[in-house]
Amino acid sequence: MLLTSACTVANSDAAGDAGSADGSTLRVVLTQEPPTLEPCESSTTATGVVVRSNITEPLIERDPTSGKLEPLLSTGWRQTKPTTWTFDIRTGVTFQNGQPFTAKDAAFSIDRAVNSNLACNVDGYVFGDEKLDVRAVSPTRLTVTTKKADPILPLRISFIEIVPRTTDTKAKVRIPIGTGPYAVKKWQTGVSISLARNPKYWGKAPAYPRATYVWRSDASVRAAMINKGEADITTSLDPMDATKDNSVAYPNNETTALRLDGREAPLDDIRVRKAIGMAIDRDGIIDALLAGKAKPAAQLVPPGVVGHNDDLAPPSYDVAKARALVKQAKADGVPVNRRITLVARNGQFAGIAETAEALQYEMARIGLNVRIRMADTATSLQYQLRPLPRDVGPIAMLVQHGNQAGDAAFTTSQYLLSNGPQSTFGTKELDRRIAAANALSGKARAKAFADLLAYQNKTVAQFAYLAHMRGLLGLSPSVRYRPNSATGDEMRLAEASPVKAGKH
Amino acid sequence: MTSFLGRRIVSSAIPLVFVVLGVFCLARLTGNPVDLYLPLSATSQQRAEFSAAHGFDDSIPVQLWDYLTQAAQFDFGTSLRTGQSAATMVLDAFPVTLQLAGVTMLLAILGALLVGSLAAYRPNSLIDRIAGLLSMIAASIPDFWFAIMGVLVFGVGLDWLPTSGTLGGAEVWVLPIATLVIRPFGVLVQVVRGSMVGALSAPYVKVARSKGAGAGRVVFGHALRNAVTPVLTVAGDLTVGLVNGAVIVETIFGWPGIGKLMIDSILQRDFAVLQAAVLITAVTIFALNILVDVCHALIDPRVRQAVPA
Repeated sequence: MLLTSACTVANSDAAGDAGSADGSTLRVVLTQEPPTLEPCESSTTATGVVVRSNITEPLIERDPTSGKLEPLLSTGWRQTKPTTWTFDIRTGVTFQNGQPFTAKDAAFSIDRAVNSNLACNVDGYVFGDEKLDVRAVSPTRLTVTTKKADPILPLRISFIEIVPRTTDTKAKVRIPIGTGPYAVKKWQTGVSISLARNPKYWGKAPAYPRATYVWRSDASVRAAMINKGEADITTSLDPMDATKDNSVAYPNNETTALRLDGREAPLDDIRVRKAIGMAIDRDGIIDALLAGKAKPAAQLVPPGVVGHNDDLAPPSYDVAKARALVKQAKADGVPVNRRITLVARNGQFAGIAETAEALQYEMARIGLNVRIRMADTATSLQYQLRPLPRDVGPIAMLVQHGNQAGDAAFTTSQYLLSNGPQSTFGTKELDRRIAAANALSGKARAKAFADLLAYQNKTVAQFAYLAHMRGLLGLSPSVRYRPNSATGDEMRLAEASPVKAGKH
Repeated sequence: MTSFLGRRIVSSAIPLVFVVLGVFCLARLTGNPVDLYLPLSATSQQRAEFSAAHGFDDSIPVQLWDYLTQAAQFDFGTSLRTGQSAATMVLDAFPVTLQLAGVTMLLAILGALLVGSLAAYRPNSLIDRIAGLLSMIAASIPDFWFAIMGVLVFGVGLDWLPTSGTLGGAEVWVLPIATLVIRPFGVLVQVVRGSMVGALSAPYVKVARSKGAGAGRVVFGHALRNAVTPVLTVAGDLTVGLVNGAVIVETIFGWPGIGKLMIDSILQRDFAVLQAAVLITAVTIFALNILVDVCHALIDPRVRQAVPA
């Protein structure tokens, strides 16, 4: 009876959960099952990697390589008043349910994501407290008005996935309808999600008629699936499982750093914070623990993002100088022997536990007393987010920040503002500079952010930077796909195609 | 027999209540899950609204009362993570684990009875020594290592089996079941062997042999029936461990079972799913323990008499 009932789980299908290598199904292995495919949650990695630009689409998309905004469901946009932007809506587009797409749907989608009580992730991540006045002034024209002038509103709008106005506004949906090149065919909970090409798609049809997502949390198994030909693409390989035949490295816009809580001694002394920055052997950690794939960092904003400062270099690795700074602080009465807790999140990146140990050793070497606390996601968030925990002593938090939005505003508002959700302290001058930079656009904006990042390093030094990370994508030799900095959050399946025989 | 069963149900139900209450209270001591489910920059008002909507701002006794009254109506709440009914998620996952546990224990018990009996039939023989060595190794192998080696050797290297997954024919069962069966098999072989060595030297076996009974009849007809009681006890314990969730196997091979669901719900502070999962596994283990006790009582009348009123 057990063996019979077993067939309810393991039925007879040919080639595993992701299907056979028939060349018409693109088989993708994720690290976890998406909790939902709700489009307004697609700024979270687990949901966005499936939904964005595959099932649903935004009005505007950002080219991850150039950072340029490109038209998608909107064909053009312009600032028509200081606080108002007008968007032209593409015609001839239909949703996967056959409903035509108009400006009313665009207005509905923005309203639903930003102004509703759904507590959408995209609302908090991209818009903060801001409420938008959204109006469909005609079937092909949309206006969005903000309280204050917002020069990067089109970039923010690029995060909102468009859904038909029949979508539920009281609750989040699990399976969405969009205008994208693929539609959800079947979600077999716990096993796989199948997509089928959208025959009504307004753009160029994707090369693969079907796509299947499965998930395996163990990186070795994901690599084995690529090696054996059971899967075509997998996210997040561990360096030890990667070979040149089964993987490709790509900049993933993630930056790792120690966030130093400047409210607690001895980290309230800038000499101690700067000494930690000098004590980190970035090249050694990258070579030994990050498989040589990352680049030493001198700021939280990665290259390619508006506001990145090309002139900043990491402090030189100088243990003697760092030790001297700590000694100086000690001589001035700073309690450098007070125990600092180095908090790191389990599994945040490959080699994080070893990286935390290396950092502990390097901080101890300059005369600081450090213990490590490895924590699960929920616990680490208690240390990472405001309101910050009390009576826990000085905390050095190993953070990994991903700026997928392409503008330094998304980093500074979170990590550098005095009261930023992920900042422990700041200064009035830094807050003023951030506000001023936010009001600018174009080259002036980029320069203002670059300058304030240098100012932060010099006068605030809340962070001891480690590295601009690189991701490893598992890729079958039978598939042509070029990952970019957004791949981990938005894997556009339409950009993948089968490799023709003899053209590998 | 009825009064025996009644007494066992009452005595086994008490730990069940403690487990459910303990998990409920301990889960809440890990903190409010608001940080995991709201955007990073959610305002304090949004956080308060989220907490109120899910009852996290109530005291633990009030939350417990709400949980118990809803659970009495078979309403186990909604998953914070997926928005699905917690009961549905658990009822989808639990059969997967039950199937894995059932097939594993069936194979482990049958294999152990055969190998353990053969080893005990001639103590210190070559077969006994090989069985002892193999069972020791099997009982000691870390299952995560065995699983990954299985994937690399049989999945990738030899290309005989799929690396993971649940869709397919019998081949998808081989590596998960092999990983799960190896430890119970090793333990049970040692138990069967020890128990059978004692049984085979008992006077009734000597009488059976003196009457000319064959080896098969002596081992399986006389000794095994009397030696099976400790095997049943140990097999029951091992089954309980598997019903609790074959986490390693479910994680590595991508089987959507109750163990993986519980781990995910703990990490994601998805209290409704965690509580529903704990409740269903606790009830199943409760039923399993009763079943083992009943089997004991049926096999050995002394057990029935030994349970105090």
